Amino acid sequence: MFCKPYKSHKLLALALLLVLPLMASAQWLPEKTKQLVNDYSHVLSDQQRETLERRLVAFNDSTSNQILVVITPTIGMEDENAVAQRIGQTWGVGQKDFDNGLVILIKSKTQRENRGAVAIATGYGLEGALPDVFCKHIIDDEMLTPLGEGEYYDALVAALDIIEPVARGEYSYAQYRKDQRRSALIGLGIFVGLIALVSGLLFYYAKKHPEQWKGGGNNGSSSSGGNGGIFFGGFPIGFGGGSRSGWSGGGFGGGGFGGFGGGSFGGGGASGRF
Amino acid sequence: MSKKTITIIGIVAVVAIAFIWGIGVNNKLVTEEENVSKAWSQVENVYKRRMDLIPQLVNTVQGAANYEKSVLTEVTNARAGVQQATVDPSTLSEEQIAAYQKAQDNLSKAVANTIKVTVERYPELTATQGFRDLQTQLEGTENRIAVERGKYNEAVQAYNTKLRRFPTSLIAGMLGFEKKGYFTAPEEAAEPVNVEFNF
Repeated sequence: MFCKPYKSHKLLALALLLVLPLMASAQWLPEKTKQLVNDYSHVLSDQQRETLERRLVAFNDSTSNQILVVITPTIGMEDENAVAQRIGQTWGVGQKDFDNGLVILIKSKTQRENRGAVAIATGYGLEGALPDVFCKHIIDDEMLTPLGEGEYYDALVAALDIIEPVARGEYSYAQYRKDQRRSALIGLGIFVGLIALVSGLLFYYAKKHPEQWKGGGNNGSSSSGGNGGIFFGGFPIGFGGGSRSGWSGGGFGGGGFGGFGGGSFGGGGASGRF
Repeated sequence: MSKKTITIIGIVAVVAIAFIWGIGVNNKLVTEEENVSKAWSQVENVYKRRMDLIPQLVNTVQGAANYEKSVLTEVTNARAGVQQATVDPSTLSEEQIAAYQKAQDNLSKAVANTIKVTVERYPELTATQGFRDLQTQLEGTENRIAVERGKYNEAVQAYNTKLRRFPTSLIAGMLGFEKKGYFTAPEEAAEPVNVEFNF
């Protein structure tokens, strides 16, 4: 008699334990990865995933546009547009200064749920090249048919075949490199200026107190030698930060993806159901 | 040095420190306020985008063969209401934001209703590519509105928090900084206003 309610309480607690994480994930957001193709539904073969990843990394390297693909069996309670936008914003897809990121989110069909959805979210910088209506046409005309047949890879390839040439025109790699070089030059300028300032001060000090400079010979030279060491040690570090090779040429043999650039999303794009 | 000089130096030092602190506070608040202004201009942008789309919606519906005027009354009135609700971007006070939001949310509802009614009554119109494209644009605009409102609220939160924290709160009023208004979620609809179109 006493046992029964206790048992049901236990069940309730168990149910709550199971439901609570689901409620917390009402705003679904996958953890940031270092990949451009993220297939949580496992609908792509390894080879397909790698081919896509290579293609998107190459596109990132040549144009600085970042296209992120997320395939997932669940997106929580929200509509796919909002989720795609939030992934783009929080992961920082696209370069910070140009917001040239794009997210293709596919909610795959599952055994339980025979409803799929796809959304394309464009960063601010790509809204001009890929207006919402255009995204909608890409989804309706190119993606929905293969997606309905379960051909996720074909749908993605068809979409990328259209998106890549269009996005390429928006912001060229040459332009990006030019901006990068400018910031590296500014960094170099500041560095050279600092050296000039410090050596000028040292020179001035030495001229004003020649006896101290020469008298404490051992002391002085060793300390100034140490200073120089720090400075020149600092040189490659400061320079690496300015140049792009710093984040793109990571340790991955085939030229892996360097990371997301901090682009911003304003809700552009479109979606469709299959 | 006499006692008097020391006192004077002390007072001067305290005043100088207070002054420098005040400058720091002022500059921090100015930065935050600029962020709010920037977010606000984005909010206005996306709302304007919708305003520009509405005549297109009106024209399209008017193109329907058996079009009735009553279908468009609501959306036309709501659009006029929005034009009256203006906000002074330099103050962005709570009352102004609330009034602005009310007018804009009315328009959201009106647009969604108009489309709903149109889909029900004029199926031959809604099947056209032109109407679908318009729907996509309106949908995209609603998405943008949601996003920019969210970003604006974040900026306001950062500003208001800074403003109301001690000791900044001591002098913020003196410096002429005031609390800014938030957008709130409309009560009846916790979900975003749905401009969803099922054919």
